[in-house]
Amino acid sequence: MSATKPSTSTSTSTSTNASATTSADAAVSTADTASTGRLAAHGLTLGYGGTVVVDGIDLALPGGAVTAVVGPNACGKSTLLRGMARLLSPTAGTVTLDGSDVHRMPARALARRMGLLPQQAVAPEGITVEALVRLGRYPHQRMLTPWSKADQAAVEEALARTGTTALRDRAVDELSGGQRQRAWIALALAQDTPLLLLDEPTTFLDLRHQLDVLDLVEELNAEAGRTVVMVLHDLGQAARYADHLVVMCDGRPAAAGPPADVLTAELVEEVFRVECRVVPDPETGTPLVVPRARSAKRAARAAS
Amino acid sequence: MTPLAVTPAPAAPRALARQRRRTALLSAAAVALLVVLTAVGLGTGEVSVPPVDALRGLVGLGDPGTVMLVQELRAPRVLSALAAGAGLGVAGAVLQRVARNPLASPDVVGVTGGASLGAVAAIATGASAALTPLAALLGGLLAAVLLGLLAWRGGFTVSRLVLVGIAVQSGLAAAVNLFIVRFPRELASTALQWTTGSVYGRTWTEFGAGGAAILAGIALALACNRRLAVLDLGDDTAGALGLAPRAARLHLLFLAVVLASVAAALTGPIGFVALAVPHVVRFLAGPPTLGTLALSGLTGAALLLGADLIVLHLLPVQGLPVGVVTATLGAPWLLVLMLRQMKPNAGSTTR
Repeated sequence: MSATKPSTSTSTSTSTNASATTSADAAVSTADTASTGRLAAHGLTLGYGGTVVVDGIDLALPGGAVTAVVGPNACGKSTLLRGMARLLSPTAGTVTLDGSDVHRMPARALARRMGLLPQQAVAPEGITVEALVRLGRYPHQRMLTPWSKADQAAVEEALARTGTTALRDRAVDELSGGQRQRAWIALALAQDTPLLLLDEPTTFLDLRHQLDVLDLVEELNAEAGRTVVMVLHDLGQAARYADHLVVMCDGRPAAAGPPADVLTAELVEEVFRVECRVVPDPETGTPLVVPRARSAKRAARAAS
Repeated sequence: MTPLAVTPAPAAPRALARQRRRTALLSAAAVALLVVLTAVGLGTGEVSVPPVDALRGLVGLGDPGTVMLVQELRAPRVLSALAAGAGLGVAGAVLQRVARNPLASPDVVGVTGGASLGAVAAIATGASAALTPLAALLGGLLAAVLLGLLAWRGGFTVSRLVLVGIAVQSGLAAAVNLFIVRFPRELASTALQWTTGSVYGRTWTEFGAGGAAILAGIALALACNRRLAVLDLGDDTAGALGLAPRAARLHLLFLAVVLASVAAALTGPIGFVALAVPHVVRFLAGPPTLGTLALSGLTGAALLLGADLIVLHLLPVQGLPVGVVTATLGAPWLLVLMLRQMKPNAGSTTR
């Protein structure tokens, strides 16, 4: 955080930074003691029909933190997320949430602990933002119980956090891409789960709306202590916003850990087959992947 | 800061509240219309009875002759039309949402074809008329099972369900025609009458079981409304919200099939009602909610009873089955729907 603002007066900035760090640490530790949202895969194999997409992996994701899953296309990152969210049954192995098997939990009980923003969601024609977000309360409701105050409070909170309160009466299919994405995130927030899975939340959004979504993720983690696991495409954004990075390659994690340790030029070259340099992000100091100029290489080869 | 500055401007009622009020008003109007239609239906005929007396007669008050006329002769027909219409309206609404297809309706996907075949087969074997509705119910369920078996490939996709349904419906309709062609002449006209849909000559025994089943089915559909709404969001989101989408879709489809088959058992196959009612309700009351599902039932009842009264009293031709009226109204409606579907920006968008 300190690198985002150039410090002008040293004494005040250090003190605020120190307090910010301790409060963030406290938030993380409380989330840890509550032990909510620790996802893990044990020998997990996932596939569609006969094809194996995720191949017998063991993986433990930290609770109370933001995890980003990155990797080239068709590496199995979305499949992994779908498997962990129980949208796919594993061919072998298990997924655990805080130690208990996800695939043996009652569906609604799981839905009260884990929310998901799917990659391709289609809103029913004409449905308003508020009506959409209200459906996030489904796992908390029983068949004939009426809408409760707690339900309404969760919906208001979700609308406010995603900045969609002013859009509540608009039809979802009339909204812009960024607004629509926020409405769908609000649906997942109304579900009020300690763990949130986001499958490519920034795809199809322009840069500003990508950053809005990622800032929201950071806020949800820092303020509400939520665990977030998201699939991203942009390595620089993943390194900036994630505490924990999982790099997938051919259905297996090629590396996992803090972005600064994981994201090296060798790894990116091996996984993405792109020659690159990894430099510190001038804004945040997190690793930034800069592909090498291919035309320059050709020019160099021609000269030699 | 003054309190005035803090409180937001007196907000217009929220969209959801507005829709709720609109739906309630429409439902009240539909109930009023139903009462009027029922009174007219019970009061008119060879012996006319003033509408108010007819309604009193239905609950057993007033002149014994009127009570007898209304309760024994006219009530089964009127109530059958009400129940079947309500059942078809709700079945159509559920089916269109579960299938995510505005053209899905029991008469498109083969359920009514199965019901017809069952009934015609019963008539052909010379079984007693009381068995016809039961045979229709069995036929409808059988068609649904057939549809399920043909469309199942380790799961259902919506488009396959609808396409296979259309094929099943055509096959069953062909089988019905074959039966009618091969019939002895005197049975053929009975069978033909049944296959065009009619509430003529219904009795309390037929209405009793069918009406109860339809009422129970509608109550169940209303109780399942939240599931329907979650299922509308797509399989992934439904799964993430704790609803197993395949099982839920199968349950709801089964419910719609039972409702449509029981309705067909009461009245014969009546087209257009299940197809049109959800669209009419959507046009009047907006996107689907619990209220609009109930309104679909009321609208279906009003539509079928209204069509029956038109057949009985307004058309110069005597003894025309009600199915002919709804089908005549249905053809242009289908055309309009298809034209609207062909507009490039129609339908829901992906995010």
